[in-house]
Amino acid sequence: MSATNTSATNTSPTASQTRSRAVWNAIRGSRVTTIGCVLILLHVLIALAAPLLTPFNPVANDSPNALMGATWQHWAGTDQYGRDVLARTLYGGRYALIVSLFATAAAVGLGTILGCVAALRGGWFDAVLMRLLDGILAVPAILALLVVVTALGTGTAIIVLAITIIYAPQVTRVVRAAAQNIVPLDYVSAARARGESWWSILTGELLPNVIDVVAVEVALRASWVVLVISSLSFLGFGANPPTPDWGLMVAENRAAMTVVPLATLAPIIALATLVLGLNMAADGLSKSFGVDKGKAAA
Amino acid sequence: MSSPTVSPPQAQATSECAVDVSDLSIVYGSRTNPTVVVDGASFTIKAGSTLALVGESGSGKSTVANALLGHLRSGARLARGDVEVCGKRVLELSEPALRAFRGTDIALVPQNAGHALTPSMRIGKQMGELPALTTLGPDERQRRVEQALAQVDLPRSFARRYPHQLSGGQQQRVGIAMALLVSPKVLVLDEPTTGLDVSTQRGILSLLRELSRELLTATAIVSHDLGVVAAMADDVLVLQHGRQLEHQPTDLLFSKPQSEHTKELLKAVPRLTGDLAPSAGSVIDATTSDTRRAPLLKIDDLIIRYGARDGPAAVDGVSLELARGQVLAIVGESGSGKSTLALALAGLLKTSSGQVQVLTTGSGDSLAGDLTRAAGKRPRDLRRRVQMIFQNADTSLNPRREVSSAIRRPIRFFGTAAGRSLDEAVLATTEDVRLPTQLLTRLPGQLSGGQRQRVGIARGLAAQPDMLIADEITTALDVSVQDAILALLDELRRERDLGCLFISHDLAVVRKIADHVVVLHQGRIVEQGPIAAVFAGPNHPYTADLFNSTLEPDPVLARPVLDHARTERDLDTLAGGPDDLGADALAGFDWLPAEGVVDLGGGHLVSRWSLSARTPAEGTV
Repeated sequence: MSATNTSATNTSPTASQTRSRAVWNAIRGSRVTTIGCVLILLHVLIALAAPLLTPFNPVANDSPNALMGATWQHWAGTDQYGRDVLARTLYGGRYALIVSLFATAAAVGLGTILGCVAALRGGWFDAVLMRLLDGILAVPAILALLVVVTALGTGTAIIVLAITIIYAPQVTRVVRAAAQNIVPLDYVSAARARGESWWSILTGELLPNVIDVVAVEVALRASWVVLVISSLSFLGFGANPPTPDWGLMVAENRAAMTVVPLATLAPIIALATLVLGLNMAADGLSKSFGVDKGKAAA
Repeated sequence: MSSPTVSPPQAQATSECAVDVSDLSIVYGSRTNPTVVVDGASFTIKAGSTLALVGESGSGKSTVANALLGHLRSGARLARGDVEVCGKRVLELSEPALRAFRGTDIALVPQNAGHALTPSMRIGKQMGELPALTTLGPDERQRRVEQALAQVDLPRSFARRYPHQLSGGQQQRVGIAMALLVSPKVLVLDEPTTGLDVSTQRGILSLLRELSRELLTATAIVSHDLGVVAAMADDVLVLQHGRQLEHQPTDLLFSKPQSEHTKELLKAVPRLTGDLAPSAGSVIDATTSDTRRAPLLKIDDLIIRYGARDGPAAVDGVSLELARGQVLAIVGESGSGKSTLALALAGLLKTSSGQVQVLTTGSGDSLAGDLTRAAGKRPRDLRRRVQMIFQNADTSLNPRREVSSAIRRPIRFFGTAAGRSLDEAVLATTEDVRLPTQLLTRLPGQLSGGQRQRVGIARGLAAQPDMLIADEITTALDVSVQDAILALLDELRRERDLGCLFISHDLAVVRKIADHVVVLHQGRIVEQGPIAAVFAGPNHPYTADLFNSTLEPDPVLARPVLDHARTERDLDTLAGGPDDLGADALAGFDWLPAEGVVDLGGGHLVSRWSLSARTPAEGTV
């Protein structure tokens, strides 16, 4: 509190400057966040630059060279079809990253809107919506996913939809709790007395004040989504062969684990570092935003 | 030492000097670029006497008070000087010594003692957990707790209650009782009555004063309210920007203030008596030109209930009228229904029955001005014409949005300006409320309380309203800032011919700004009339109580207030009740609402009342 008072009298940064600086400080301020963000960035860069990093085609069969250990040519060996394991690992993040990007955005986006509306409307709308979401939350996530995917097929759009249905309720609960602290405040009352629509109250008054909660949710849900997508691929419902994908690679190569251990280990390491990075970013962000203390407003 | 005899403080206590602060300087920030918050404060407090630390927010008064407890906020450090309490240099004590010191020699009553109570523990148990009592047996402990409750005028049964079963004033009393349980030699009161109703405040202050004389404690009271200071303190220390401006006995300070700052402070305090400030000259033209004014708002038999249809009404049959250019004050304590009324007019609460009309000029459509409908169902033009300004500028502005967007939004929403003229309208509105335009790009958190309230007013004005609802808009502000905001509101209503519903608990503030007063008690109007008539009396007993409880910034006027009994003068100034009232008849009796209204002429109406035996103290403050 005293910090804001002094900044008002001395140098006076504008609102947008303080905002971007706050985000920058949040990322740079803690080592955990920095490492997390660097890990995520590294994965994104590798996925984008994969063709430059390896001369091999990740889907080209090369039967004579199948199931080789690490050599000077194939640093991580080859799998049962003779495909370079390193190349497949480098390319393997693409599917997971793209699908998680869309799935996370959809789940957090829908959850944020539902959470804000539930907090804003209250009453029977809130009660009915929350019991509905409780119902979804009661079903184990993987089980529900498998039901949706078996019923509707394994297209990317359907997986995104399924993940949205599974994770949006959790986001809704968290955002609703944060928004409920904002709704009784006078600036929301002022907007209501002005007769603003619920959408403009949501975007104008609520969203700016729950955005840090949402940012943490994005990082947290993304790590779960990456894991779930890889699990689906492992179970044969996600990426279709011969697409290079970490979950799929583990499933394909686990029989040959003793022959080419890196063929299963490499995608696991890649997946683990990505999830770790996302988790560290979420942790660090929630600490620096104070979200974990249940405090939403500045 | 702590014998419960009432005696003049100076007689016994001149020998012992309980608090000795010399050349105290406290700084924040780095060593190379420190910010000085307290600069060379020096004072002593003798046992049995009370020193008030007075100043506006940021003057360092709380920092000084905390230093007496040996506490410096994190980041603050002692630059020079010394604080000696009961012979101990408290800022040099180790942690364990400090804990023992706080449990025995010194005690603090914080501004909101209720927040310091654990909600899940009974009052008696919490009090028994004080370090001073842990060595005692359970029976002795209970006896001490009950004794302390009795000292603060709370019944013994309160020991079995939970904090949420107590009112704010009762919680504050428990806080005081806990401070007294340690029988401190020094008592620090940090704004002990801010946020309480005036009659509650009166009770607590008189209690504190009696106790500090009885127990011969040295008391330091931090307050921004000069009325409280006048009632409580023997000496006053005025601080500004951490510097000690003057240190005088209370009588002298109020009669012959030395520094300019003190003079300004005293001038800014609203008073119940004396000449009206020039800014409030409105009262005179209000009475003369009343009839020529166009009526703006008409409330007829309005009832608002929370919850059940047949439940008690928060606003119960209120009828009133407001004209253009008029300021109508609605006065009452918490729970009187004044804020409920404001919220309903703003369309944020459902009304149960009755009519509320904003009178439109020309158009015959009666629904066009119907304020009983919720905000979302009102025509846009009606929503524009009625604007509300909120009490707490901290929560009425979105902390994540620039000041300009708070002002721009209503202009754009109501379409009063668009395109390039939108920016001009924002600038014009900002200048109208005398806010520097470079603040438009700041966030609300970077503004002072007064500036934030100006933004709140600007947001209301931006819609080009006919009527403002101002809900306790100066309560959270320093007196000089309050003065400026009131002056601004007064200018604006003249310039724009605004009707203004000014909701307040403070009769002195109301006198400064309003033309008419309506006094609410438990949702009913007990008295209404032009400001001059109501202040001249005779009054309803409830209004008389409010007058009596208001602490004047004047030691002579404030002290007698602390006597609970009504004075003879009061009896002459009561109206609306039994005419054959003797002086003995009223002591020990309360009033009850009765049917009917007495018209005292000139629009001054007082509800009838009757006498009833006063109920025992269980339920009171």
